[in-house]
Amino acid sequence: MKTKLLNTVSCIIFAAVFLITGIICMFKPDTEFSESERRMLEKQPQVTFESIVSGEYMNNFESYCADQFPKRDIFRSLKAFFTTKILNQKDYNGLFMSEGHISKLDSKINPEMINHAAGKFKYIYEKYLEDTQSKVYFTVIPDKNYTLTAEKDYPSLDYNVFIEKCIEKIPFMQYINICDLLSADDYYKTDSHWRQENIRDIAQRIANTMETDISADYTQKTLDIPFYGVYAGQYPMKVKPDTIKYLTNNTLKKCKVTYYDNMGYSYKGNIYDLKKANENDPYELFLSGSQALIEIENMTAKTNKELVLFRDSYGSSLAPLLVSGYKKITLVDIRYIKSFALESYVNFDNCDVLFMYSTSLLNNSKSLN
Amino acid sequence: MLFSSLSFLYYYFPCVVILYTLTPKAFKNAVLLLSSLAFYAWGEPQYVLIMLVSILFGYIFGILIQHFNEKKRLSKLFLCLSAITSLSALVYFKYADFFIENFSRATGISLNALNLVLPIGISFYTFQILSYTVDIYRGRCEAQKNPINLAVYITFFPQLIAGPIVRYSDIESQLTQRTHSIEKSNTGIKRFIAGLSKKVIFANTFGELCNLFNLSDDKSILFYWLFAFSYMLQIYFDFSGYSDMAIGLGNIFGFKLPENFHYPFCAKSITDFWRRWHISLGTWFRDYVYIPMGGSRCKSSKMFINIFTVWILTGLWHGAEWNFIVWGIYFAVLLCLEKFLFKKYIEKLKVLRHIYVIFFVTLSFVIFSAPSIREIFYHIKTMFGITELPFISPGFIYYLKSFGITLLLGGICSTPLLKIIKRKITSDSKEKIYVTVLENIIILMLLFICTAYLVDGSFNPFLYFRF
Repeated sequence: MKTKLLNTVSCIIFAAVFLITGIICMFKPDTEFSESERRMLEKQPQVTFESIVSGEYMNNFESYCADQFPKRDIFRSLKAFFTTKILNQKDYNGLFMSEGHISKLDSKINPEMINHAAGKFKYIYEKYLEDTQSKVYFTVIPDKNYTLTAEKDYPSLDYNVFIEKCIEKIPFMQYINICDLLSADDYYKTDSHWRQENIRDIAQRIANTMETDISADYTQKTLDIPFYGVYAGQYPMKVKPDTIKYLTNNTLKKCKVTYYDNMGYSYKGNIYDLKKANENDPYELFLSGSQALIEIENMTAKTNKELVLFRDSYGSSLAPLLVSGYKKITLVDIRYIKSFALESYVNFDNCDVLFMYSTSLLNNSKSLN
Repeated sequence: MLFSSLSFLYYYFPCVVILYTLTPKAFKNAVLLLSSLAFYAWGEPQYVLIMLVSILFGYIFGILIQHFNEKKRLSKLFLCLSAITSLSALVYFKYADFFIENFSRATGISLNALNLVLPIGISFYTFQILSYTVDIYRGRCEAQKNPINLAVYITFFPQLIAGPIVRYSDIESQLTQRTHSIEKSNTGIKRFIAGLSKKVIFANTFGELCNLFNLSDDKSILFYWLFAFSYMLQIYFDFSGYSDMAIGLGNIFGFKLPENFHYPFCAKSITDFWRRWHISLGTWFRDYVYIPMGGSRCKSSKMFINIFTVWILTGLWHGAEWNFIVWGIYFAVLLCLEKFLFKKYIEKLKVLRHIYVIFFVTLSFVIFSAPSIREIFYHIKTMFGITELPFISPGFIYYLKSFGITLLLGGICSTPLLKIIKRKITSDSKEKIYVTVLENIIILMLLFICTAYLVDGSFNPFLYFRF
């Protein structure tokens, strides 16, 4: 009798779970944006004859179900907890936690991608730089797993081999080594980027190599909002937020900053975009995040030197530290502007040129144009 | 549609159960048929028609075979026509490109591949239709007069795309007279969630490990062994999980589908392994190919031919690739060796016989997984240290540590250990209630964990439904 009652109760509970969850799935209003994952969520696919016959509707519907599932973030956390704490898997979807840092596993050198990046750099060098007096340098920013995987079991890139390959493929530029200056604390714990307040020594070494004086004093300011970096959303476990600090002084405050988008339109702005600091990715505080082209004019410069900086997002926080050594810095992100179109926007004559890219971008350089 | 998808779990499944429950008994099969067609169409709408035509042929030939039962020649003719029509679709979609490719390679005449997409579940429903018409011819069952009932037997969504291969005679009476109860539904739903967990938590995780191995530049001998064990466990949990889900869903709708797996890694010999692995396929080949060819009651030389024929066909059934044929021959050789040489010796070895089974089954799945014959040799040579790869690598250490607990749990769950423990505890009726409550709580937690895996959109292929 007891068993029969138990069966009935358990059957009702199971049925209720499927039914209630099903009803919530079907009638819950859709969410447009996931703040934790920093992405737009899938919308309900349009029903068309073609999409049904081709199966496209069904595929999109599966993504829609996963994206719009009620309490999605809680379920993602449950999976992360179960896989890392119960099954003791050492990473979660390729992310791992070590010394309080969330970092990404990346152990495979992709020679094709290094060649692709080197090919783009060579094109720029031969088209714009070869016949000029400009000095050309490049540096490679290691991912933070460079510091976290050493002497641990985590598979990681062989950074020596990686950099040797880069040097071999980019012989026309002078390489500046910065790897020995970096430790885990120089990166945000929840994000892939480095901390501006900790990379002054890196800026100094680059400036020294380029024979530029960047001695300047800075005031350190701290944003009063918690910073959950890009990895925090991808690794749905409880993590302490970072704080963003930035270095400023009168020189930086007086700079004229012009931003150009990939359509060629321009607008004026500041080195530190405090409005962006309050949006989805507070790291965009530094030079307003992803930008095709930025010109920084140092209005208090005592030199006429110019720098052209080819860079990814790491360059946004480092460039302000080089400002005091130059009259003008032009930041170019060839992910958002075609290399062949640079002639109209950038002066390459008699200046320093620095290519500064992270290993993760060089190892997956398809986006370089 | 996959069982392990959110659209199935929280959209399709609740809607079908409600609709089925509210429908009067006379129309329940019609509801099941429409639901099954919708289920199939969700995956591949363009192939519903092919399945319906196959069913129509099966229906007509079934009636004709029975009608001309007295005239054996005519009856046989219709059976042959039924076999030809059923198998022609399977051969065309599954093997045409294989034949074209090998013909081109052998003759040097370049022919363009048809690049056909294999209709999901065609190998399963073709075998069900074949068994139906053959059983009518043999007088083991009556032809089904009601086309809806026959279509339900073929298209019943729990077993449509990955089995078990159900014999018509096994569920003939259930098509019209089946009982529904809370107890059956409760057992069914729990079995379904257990199968879902096998698939989502184990098979997908082992699949992920196999993928990581394939992508790794840091391979070693031990990493190859780790891959081989993971792949074997992935296939087992993938397919046995699917069978559990099918059997559980069958229970909910009042059907009793046959068991398809019985702890195959606990087998005492390779012969025993095949009595425990994909049971419905093994018995199908036994009853419809091996025994009609003469089975074991013939000369040794004929028996060799019978065994090799059945196993080459079994290999080919899994896929139109040479590695599947090699895989079939591999088992034919092992089974012949056991049958004629050392079965009696193996039976005496208590522990070693299990090691022997695991060893040869692991190697068999290396053959099964290989993309080419050359890869089979390279893989096996590496496993035995005959290539230049090191014995151990950091990649192996990392992934062993990372997946070690899952592998251990997978190993335990592939044996009857938990079942034995449960039986021992529940032998005391006082404890039984607590164990049942605990079991229900665990099953409910597993459902939430599986949902979490699916919401996270992790690795989720189904291996067996393409066969």
